[in-house]
Amino acid sequence: MNLEKVIFGFFIVLAMTLNFGFFLGEISNPAHHNVNELFAVVVVNFIATGLKLGDRSQVGAVLLSTSLVADLQLIVAVFYWTSAVHINMAGLTPDVMTSIVALSGGALLANVVSVVILVVDTLMSRL
Amino acid sequence: MAASVDLSRVTFIVLREMRKPILAIIIVYSLSIAGMIIMPGPVVNGEIQYLSIFHAFYFMTYTATTTGFGEIPFPFSNAQRSWAIICLYISVITWFYAIGSIIRLIQNPYLSKALAAHEFSNKVERISGDFIIICGFGDTGSVLARGLSDARLTAVVIDSNEERIKALKLRDYKVLMPGLFADASVPKHLIEAGIRRTDCKAIVSVTSNEETNLKISALARILNPNIDVITKSKVEIWEETLATIGGKVHIIDPFKTYAQLLAFSIVQRYFYSFNNWLVGDKSTELEQPLSPPNQGLWIICGFGRMGQEIKRALNKQGLRTSIIDPQPISPDEENVEKFILGLTTVRTLKLAGIEQAVGIVTGTDDDGQNVSILLNARSINPNVFTVVRQNSHENFAAFQAARADMVMQPSLVAARRIMLLLKAPLLKPFFKYFLVHQDRDHEMNDVISWVKTCVGDGNKVPLLTSFDITDKNAKVLMRVLENDSVQLGDLLKDPRDRTKPLDLVVLVVQSDEGKVIILPGSDYWVKAGDQLLLCGTDLGYRLFLATVNNEYKLYHVRTGLRQPRSFFMQWYVRKMGREGL
Repeated sequence: MNLEKVIFGFFIVLAMTLNFGFFLGEISNPAHHNVNELFAVVVVNFIATGLKLGDRSQVGAVLLSTSLVADLQLIVAVFYWTSAVHINMAGLTPDVMTSIVALSGGALLANVVSVVILVVDTLMSRL
Repeated sequence: MAASVDLSRVTFIVLREMRKPILAIIIVYSLSIAGMIIMPGPVVNGEIQYLSIFHAFYFMTYTATTTGFGEIPFPFSNAQRSWAIICLYISVITWFYAIGSIIRLIQNPYLSKALAAHEFSNKVERISGDFIIICGFGDTGSVLARGLSDARLTAVVIDSNEERIKALKLRDYKVLMPGLFADASVPKHLIEAGIRRTDCKAIVSVTSNEETNLKISALARILNPNIDVITKSKVEIWEETLATIGGKVHIIDPFKTYAQLLAFSIVQRYFYSFNNWLVGDKSTELEQPLSPPNQGLWIICGFGRMGQEIKRALNKQGLRTSIIDPQPISPDEENVEKFILGLTTVRTLKLAGIEQAVGIVTGTDDDGQNVSILLNARSINPNVFTVVRQNSHENFAAFQAARADMVMQPSLVAARRIMLLLKAPLLKPFFKYFLVHQDRDHEMNDVISWVKTCVGDGNKVPLLTSFDITDKNAKVLMRVLENDSVQLGDLLKDPRDRTKPLDLVVLVVQSDEGKVIILPGSDYWVKAGDQLLLCGTDLGYRLFLATVNNEYKLYHVRTGLRQPRSFFMQWYVRKMGREGL
């Protein structure tokens, strides 16, 4: 057993599961998407990205890039939410909500790719 | 450069051949179209309707190609119809003429040769990494190409027989094997095959013609002074010439090689099966000893090249020899117990002393005769040790059924020898080590059982390969070696579970200075520039490559610890004052 792998795998999978939880529900309905959950998704994604920094192997580089994609999508989603609620006061109208959830859906896809690479890499080194 | 020359030649031939038909079509079309426009059409709404240029061209297009969509835009007048009849016959004939020219062009032997050469040089240019040129795709060449393909080595093949090159293209090789139908002794073709490239490692000339082989070897040396030249030669005077062309030259004489194998087998009873097993002969049992008798009388039937070489080898081992041959031998020939003039028959065999003989060598160049001698000899003396020559690959089944102790197939012997030269040059010092002293029997036995446990069941073909510790092959290991030292034993641990060894044995290490160590122990300190001879399984070799090219895996097999990968973990490990995880 490798301690680093345990921590690493934990955060990567957690990022994916939380992301999935936020994404789940009717896409334009604000009642189905919790702001605290989005906050948790962003934090866990950032931690996962931090853990991926520094790996010099080929697989490490690909894992880092998928994480960066998820981060980018989530940051845009958060910014959109903040501006709708606090800056231009438009509120969470269905079309705003749709955009936010769609962005988190993209991040979910990046997280799934990340988990798939992690699993494949682990299986390959077991062979 | 060679490719563009070919391409311009192809373009030139096509343009020259197609000039007349294209011109004819243009003239016929323009005249027909002009006629169709001039011809007065039907009267519609009181006006004569002429065809527009567009409609006339449309009409000609489907008329000349015999499609016939009808009369547009209005049904034709009789004047137009009469002109259309003329157009139809002339244009259809012109089209046939053009199509005939195209077919003739495709069948033009010069064009197809130029196209093949162009395709060939394109393929050669696409080769990345080291490759070998094989001149001659006969029995030896095809066995060699198969062996190289199994070892994932690319080869470029040139043969002067078109049928053989066609056969080459139908084989299913695991790597790219471009083939060219050309005379390899013409420098232009060797250059097309890429002889001047630095990643062309060796040229093997195994054509059926000795003179051609010599010429190719000399040309190769002039065109590329660094290339390894390997050639098959059975004539001694040419060997001298070849040896003096400079650089690395290997001359393979299948008969000499086989005589040596026989002599080694007399000294070392496990040698023959081990050697055959290493070169990938699936029918060999690894631990089956084969010991040709080392005392007594041997009878040699047929005193050609094979007979002479084997006699020399046997005499060197202190064995007595009798000869049966239809040609008288030189009276200076030494160590001849009895010489019987004539074909080998039961009578001559008895005269030569078959009843007391311990071994018989049937080395004529006629396969039927070889088998019948074998059967005759065995019927008189069932215990005699038999060495038989098989000239043609097609007679394989007959020789297998005859159950000779040793079967010598010249093309196969040569191909295997060349394979080992290319793939595992360090095998020679390895075997030499065991053959110098007879008392290394036990050691040899240990190696064999060790290798066997690594590779597994006897009928699996082992992987035998050279591995150079260089920047190209083992980047990470080279970096570690700059300021640290690595033990060979660590490299041979399984990176997935370092308590287990890989299915891989290092038979020989040759250091940069040329020092050779046979069967290095696991405490051997690896140096940059070392050349290793590895034997084991495909998987073992792949894992070994992963270890020497991945810093995390290399760290793990050396220390048993996991090197922290991320910055966070590196910080944590430093803080805890540990080396790894």
